[in-house]
Amino acid sequence: MAQAVDVKGKLRVGPSPHIRTARTSSWVMSQVMIAMIPPTIAATYFFGWWVLVMVAIGIVTAVASEYIYQKLTYKPITIHDNTAAVTGMLIGLSLPVTAPIWMIMFGSIFAIIIVKQMGGGVGKNYFNPAVAGRVAIKAFFTPWLANWVLPGGFFGSGYRGVDAVSTATPLEYLGDGAQTVAAEVPGLWDLFMGFNLGGNVGETSKLAILIGMLYLIFRRIINPKIPILYILTTTVVMGLWANFNFDFMMAHALTGTLFFAATYMATDYSSGSLTPEGKTVFAIGAGLLTAFFRIAFNYPGGVGFAILIMNALAPSIDSKLMPRIYGHKKRPAVKFNRQSENN
Amino acid sequence: MSFSFKGKHGGSHPDDNKSRTSKLPIEDATVPKIMVFPVSMHIGAPAKPVVEIGDKVKAGQLIAEAGGFVSANIYSSVSGEVIAMEKRPTVGGESDAIIIKNDYSYTMADPIVEPGNAAGMSKDEILDTVRKAGIVGMGGATFPTSVKLSPPPGMTVDTLVINGAECEPYSTSDHRVMVEHPDEIIKGINLSRKLFPLLKHIYIGIEDNKPDAIKALEEASAEFKDITVRPLKAMYPRGSEKNLIKSVTGREVPPGGLPAAVRCVVLNTSTIRSCYRACELGEPLIERVVSVSGTPIKNPKNLRVKIGTPMDSLIDDCGGFSEVPGKVLGGGPMMGKPVSDLGVPIIKGTTAITVLTPEEAHIGEEQNCIMCAECVNVCPVSLQPILISEAFERGNIEKAKELGAMDCIECGNCSFICPSKIPLLDNIRAAKAAIKQKEEA
Repeated sequence: MAQAVDVKGKLRVGPSPHIRTARTSSWVMSQVMIAMIPPTIAATYFFGWWVLVMVAIGIVTAVASEYIYQKLTYKPITIHDNTAAVTGMLIGLSLPVTAPIWMIMFGSIFAIIIVKQMGGGVGKNYFNPAVAGRVAIKAFFTPWLANWVLPGGFFGSGYRGVDAVSTATPLEYLGDGAQTVAAEVPGLWDLFMGFNLGGNVGETSKLAILIGMLYLIFRRIINPKIPILYILTTTVVMGLWANFNFDFMMAHALTGTLFFAATYMATDYSSGSLTPEGKTVFAIGAGLLTAFFRIAFNYPGGVGFAILIMNALAPSIDSKLMPRIYGHKKRPAVKFNRQSENN
Repeated sequence: MSFSFKGKHGGSHPDDNKSRTSKLPIEDATVPKIMVFPVSMHIGAPAKPVVEIGDKVKAGQLIAEAGGFVSANIYSSVSGEVIAMEKRPTVGGESDAIIIKNDYSYTMADPIVEPGNAAGMSKDEILDTVRKAGIVGMGGATFPTSVKLSPPPGMTVDTLVINGAECEPYSTSDHRVMVEHPDEIIKGINLSRKLFPLLKHIYIGIEDNKPDAIKALEEASAEFKDITVRPLKAMYPRGSEKNLIKSVTGREVPPGGLPAAVRCVVLNTSTIRSCYRACELGEPLIERVVSVSGTPIKNPKNLRVKIGTPMDSLIDDCGGFSEVPGKVLGGGPMMGKPVSDLGVPIIKGTTAITVLTPEEAHIGEEQNCIMCAECVNVCPVSLQPILISEAFERGNIEKAKELGAMDCIECGNCSFICPSKIPLLDNIRAAKAAIKQKEEA
């Protein structure tokens, strides 16, 4: 048996399966960042180059705080999995252009250290770090936040601090029991494209977000039912509330953080549901809560609270909706909360 | 590679790598001087040798007889002399083996039954011939076929499923058998009708990446209205017994149960063909088709191989290695068994030899779980592999059991798909072992 290649002692014998998909977790998370590029470009176009600085501050702060935290607590460094960078980018994009630097840094540090790392680290945290970081900023620093600042173009704005002129957000005209579209609300085309809209920089152009969403769907990074069911549920409930006033429905679908959060935040792996049916319940639940907050309150942060509430419910949803195993008649009767160390 | 949106699919799409061999006709492999016959090449009790060192044997002569009801006869595939009886490495562990020195005269032993009488055989005669021929599941499971063909009393079979899915990447042996010998498969099916008087449906399940095999069997079965060739969307592990039954009949085998519990019997295409050849030609199982493929193989081939041929002889037939292999597998890359020694012989269940480069066999660095749910989406029996794996890592065996660890069919999809390269199946296997140990204690 003369073989050109001598294999004696060279063959590996690890157990099956013997091949692995080319995908890595770091690559998956980098795809999420790529999908945030369209909204970043749109935001830069509308609000100016300062947006890029905001995103950079968000990412650098998030990655640095994860690194420092893990160093200080003698934990393995996990910054190369890119999850911290995704959180930082989300924070940078989910604040208005007037947000001061320290506020972006606070959001990233809060998200990474308090929510993510103290919540168990990657894959274990109950709450979406970026959403929680943003809600914390809103809760603590509303006086410093000029939410609705009209865009000034690429060179026109830059960092304008708290001096910028701010007005009420469209949601203040659409929410709080309203059933029709007030004259102050921009037209649907403007809402979709992001023309003449203020607000948090990343969420203005729904077109750009849609491109990012489609990218994530076609790359098989996110389950399409999460953003679609979320947006659809809110839209339909707002329609029911307003006797299917089309403009009102669509204005709600295209206003606020709904599109942005449904695409980049509700689809977060760690804080969402694990089971297939759980994901459906998660998305519809978030949609219902968002609609409820919009109808009941005159408060523009409904999406954030809706996602956080669903984050908290996700483990119980999962343990109720554990899929029926092949050949079994019933779902497995097992309580399981993978985020808890006791299981 | 087919495209799908992210979500629950119950399967995965590894690159199938079948094009290297799928169009190549089956060739006869070189028969080497030294042949190795492990007495344990099936599920069940090892066979008992009936020859001694120094005995002259003929090709097709019984050399070891079934060691129990769940066991199988073993025949010499060559004529020659028994030169040793010793432990030898085999695919899946060491086994006592009978070593025969080939005299290249190919003196044939008498057929196991009178040839040409298959059509006149009774049910018991057929079962007896299949048992005598030493036929076992040739798709890799190696469960004695005669046992499978006689379901426990009280269980009726109304559906026969012929497994031509061949979902393992690289493997093309069943594919070529279907393309080149569709008539023998159909004749085998017709023979099996006598075994199951209540038979209503006969399905041949073939993945849709083998259109030529689908066409060949459709043509061969055209005159039999109750035989349905069922093209199946290619997806790993379509050919696992439980999933195939679900795919073609919609029925689910209960946990721990046999296919007969849902009135089904599943046979691999090569197995049913061997049943036909045993009954019609009186030929015991001494030969099978093996595809030899993989990047390091110079000329990948489909080979007609005498059972007992050491792997290195087949690799020589294929021109040897063009580069240093990382892993050599008996079977495909998803469920195949790695060998450390190329002297390991081909046994009845060896469908393929798959050779991977060190890069292809590389398992990346493990990262933390990001909870992407891919393992959940690809599990063909709807388990939550990451939950079982984590329960096991925390030492919570009870929880692993409640989560369904024992229902795992070990197809390997979870480990394959995990972007964090977590050894999910290793952990689930360990959990299963721990559960069994606990139950026996």
